[in-house]
Parts: sequence; structure tokens; C-alpha cells
Amino acid sequence: MSDSILQIHHLSKAFGSNVVLRDIDFTVNQGDVVSVIGASGSGKSTLLRCINLLETPTSGDILYHGKNVAGKGVNAPAYRAHVGMVFQSFNLFNNMTVLENCMVGQMKVLKKSKEAAREAAMQYLQKVGMAPYINAKPSQISGGQKQRVAIARALAMEPEVLLFDEPTSALDPEMVGEVLTVMQGLAQEGMTMLVVTHEMAFARDVSTRVVYMNQGVICEQGTPNQVFGNPQRQETKDFLARFRNN
Amino acid sequence: MNPFVKLGHDIVRLWTTYSSQYLMGMWNTIYLAVVCTAIGCIIGLLCGVLNTIPLAPKDPPVKRFLLKLLHGIIRIYVEVFRGTPMILQAVFIFHGLPYFTNGAVRFPSELMCAFFVVSINTGAYMAESVRGGIISIDPGQTEGAKAIGMTHWQTMFYVILPQTLRNILPQIGNNLIINLKDTSVLSIIAVAEFFAIHKSVAGTTFAFFPSAAIEMVGYLTVTVIASVLLRMVEKKMDGKASYELAQVDPLTMAAGTYNHPDKKSFFDEHSKEYKEDK
Repeated sequence: MSDSILQIHHLSKAFGSNVVLRDIDFTVNQGDVVSVIGASGSGKSTLLRCINLLETPTSGDILYHGKNVAGKGVNAPAYRAHVGMVFQSFNLFNNMTVLENCMVGQMKVLKKSKEAAREAAMQYLQKVGMAPYINAKPSQISGGQKQRVAIARALAMEPEVLLFDEPTSALDPEMVGEVLTVMQGLAQEGMTMLVVTHEMAFARDVSTRVVYMNQGVICEQGTPNQVFGNPQRQETKDFLARFRNN
Repeated sequence: MNPFVKLGHDIVRLWTTYSSQYLMGMWNTIYLAVVCTAIGCIIGLLCGVLNTIPLAPKDPPVKRFLLKLLHGIIRIYVEVFRGTPMILQAVFIFHGLPYFTNGAVRFPSELMCAFFVVSINTGAYMAESVRGGIISIDPGQTEGAKAIGMTHWQTMFYVILPQTLRNILPQIGNNLIINLKDTSVLSIIAVAEFFAIHKSVAGTTFAFFPSAAIEMVGYLTVTVIASVLLRMVEKKMDGKASYELAQVDPLTMAAGTYNHPDKKSFFDEHSKEYKEDK
């Protein structure tokens, strides 16, 4: 309990009569790197979006350090500032340069001074290898570079946990590596991460825990060795077999 | 006499007598059009932003009701002012106010009324342009801003509106040029703008065609200058087409400059083209 950042209890989400998530329960502890895998449409992304309150859960609790953030009267922006998110489609601000993208949140949300924001932004851009490109606009850089800037922007807010929503799915194959390398580096530094991904090698080699979702429920979870090496459920076996054949 | 020579003579004659009036009228027209376009843009931005406030299902009913009411009022405003001629609005408002208040409330001057009518007209058109501009910005950017903890207003102010403004700049330019020309209808309530001068000068001198020629050239000059200036603003807002790499030390290893030794590039010792310095 003491080191759990997020606890999700009985989380459900329905869009109209279409139930996307049913009764999800799981915990993210300090330092965890949790990979969420599963077929398209299994609710992985919706789960992540619910955790960041971009979607309002239909029922259930999301406890952030023991406090429920899914109910009414929660200051969603303040909570989101502690939970970073990296999107499949990057979602950089097109009217700002790379540097400004990483500074605006620090200045407007964390109320940091311009100098402090710039310093932190540079530090994180350096980390993702994008420091030379601070003057570029998002439209002038490649997909992999955009995603690395998006990671730096999220890191600059110094979040406690970072959510990745299929961060490499929109990238050309040759750019996937550079983003995964950055993410692997973060994991090794002890960043708490929740990663929705189709990159099975990443899930197997980098994460501390793997969650397999199927049709809106958590079908199986465990260490990478358990889930990949010795899956218990037939659905998990079928899913992994499809990936091995590719 | 050659009609062109005759026209030249007539224009010179008119200009020597009435140049100060024409220039004054021109100044009023420019002044009206620029100020009213600016105020209209502010009204339009306000309406556009209010129209796009998101409603969450868990919001209290009071907020939902107020927001619906606000949307209704904006809708009526847009429909009424977009759907009636400006020339009529000017008469209606200028004479309607004292009519209904027994002369207690009236515009202090015709020019004041003109500012009001043109601004509110431009606002009605801009409200729709702004709404369209906001909708056209990829919703992902709103989510990106939310995800780093920005509020709705911060997102609007720092991320969405700057881009909206750039996208609707051609619209703003259109409105400015339309206003430069359409303020001519305000001569109906005796506002001394450019076209009203034509009416008064032609009325006293009967030089209808030469005066109209002056007006034609005058309007065209102003609108062409306006559109050139607007293009310059657009270019400025677009920023530089290229960017410079910020690197103090060009030998610093950064992403893309590093090659694994086994990878064999021109620049390492595995390459055949690599030669040791003597």
C-alpha cells in the first residue's frame, strides 16, 4: 500500500451499450514497468485514457495515493499534472517550437519561471537526444523525433507515473527503435511506467509486469517470464502464438 | 474634347476644391473598417470560445442550463445580424433606440452608431469562422494539453486560439476588405465616410462620373494595400520555413550522429576510404 501509486478497483467503462472495460482491478507500484498487451479493441487504450481521466469511467474507483480521483469534484488538471501521458499520435502543439512544447506546461501549470522551465526542458530534451532540434516546429521533424519530444514534454512535468498509449504504433519501422531505446532508458532509471504496446520484445525484455487484456477484462497478468514463457489461459496462448507466427 | 482629357480636367477641378473632404471621408472609412474589424474579431473569438466549452455528463445541471442558454443567445445573435442587411440594421438601431425610449437613449453621434452596427455585424460573421477554426484544430492537441494538466482556458489560450487565429486570418482579411467597402451603406444615417462625400460633392457639383472615378480609385487603393499588408502578416505568423540546429559544439554526439563502430561508415577506421593522418 505504501508504495502503490495507482490502484484501480472494479473499473468499468461503457460507450452507450458498448461495454469496453469490465471490472478491471490492478495496481501500479513505484518503479513498476507494466506492459499492457492484447488485440486491438480489447480496451487497452480506453483503460489508459480512463486512468488519465480523458474518459470518465462508468463505474469503479481510481485511487491515486489512496485518494479516489474518479468521482465528482476532483480537480482533474491538477491530478493529470502528476500523471504524464504519451500518445500514439504525438499530440505536440503545432504552434510552438520543440523547446516551447516542453516549457509551456511547466510555466503555466507548475508556475515555474521561464529560466527554470528552460533548464528542465533542455535537460529532458538532451536525455531523449532532441536537444539540437529545440528551434524546430513539430511539422519540421520526423515521427520518431516527435515522439521523443512528446516524451520529453511529459517528463518535464516530472510526473510520478508515465502512461504510454501505443507510442510506436504510428511510426515507420525504422523509427520504432529510437523511441523504444528512450523508453528502455527511462525504465532502467526507475521511472514508473504503464505501457500499452504491440511491441512484444519490449514487453518481454523491459517490463517488470505484463497484463494481457482480452475483450475488456484482464485475462492474465504476471512477470514477463510467466506470461510469455508459461501462459495459463488459452486466450493468452492463442494471442501470443499469433505474434510468434509473424 | 477627348473624354479622358476631359475626365482628367474634371478630377483635378474636383480635387483642388474638395480634396480635404475626400481625404476626411477616406480616413473615416479606414478608421471605421479597421476598428470595427478588430472589435468584431474580439466578439467573434468570444462567441466561438463560449460555443465550444465542453460539457461533461457529470457537470451540475445549473452549469448545463446556463451553457445551453448562452449557446441559444449566441445563436440568435448570429442569425439576426447575419440574416438582415447592415443598411437596415443601421436605420433600425439608430432610430429605434430613441423611438422606444422616448428620446431618452440615443447614440451621441451617427459615427458612434456606425461603430456599433459594423462591429456587431462583423462579430456575427466571425463567430462562425472562429467556431469552424477551433473545430478544425486536431482534438489530439487538446488532449495533449489536458494530459500535462492544462485547464480548458489555458488550452484555448496557449494552444488552440493561436492556431485558430492563423487559420482564420484569411477570413479576417476578407472581413476587413468587406468592411472597407460596405461601410458605404452607412451614408444612410449620414455618417461622413468616403461614399457619403461622393454623394454630397456630386450633389452640389453634378460631377457624378468624375467623383465616382475618384471614389473607385480611392477604394481600390485602400483594399489593395489592405490585402498586401494581410499577406505580410500571414507570412510573419507562419514563421521561418526552416530551423537551425542548436548545437554549440558541432562534434557533440547526438541522435543520428552516432555510428556503431561495426556499422562501417565513411568516417570510421573500418572504411576503405578512411586514411590515417600522417
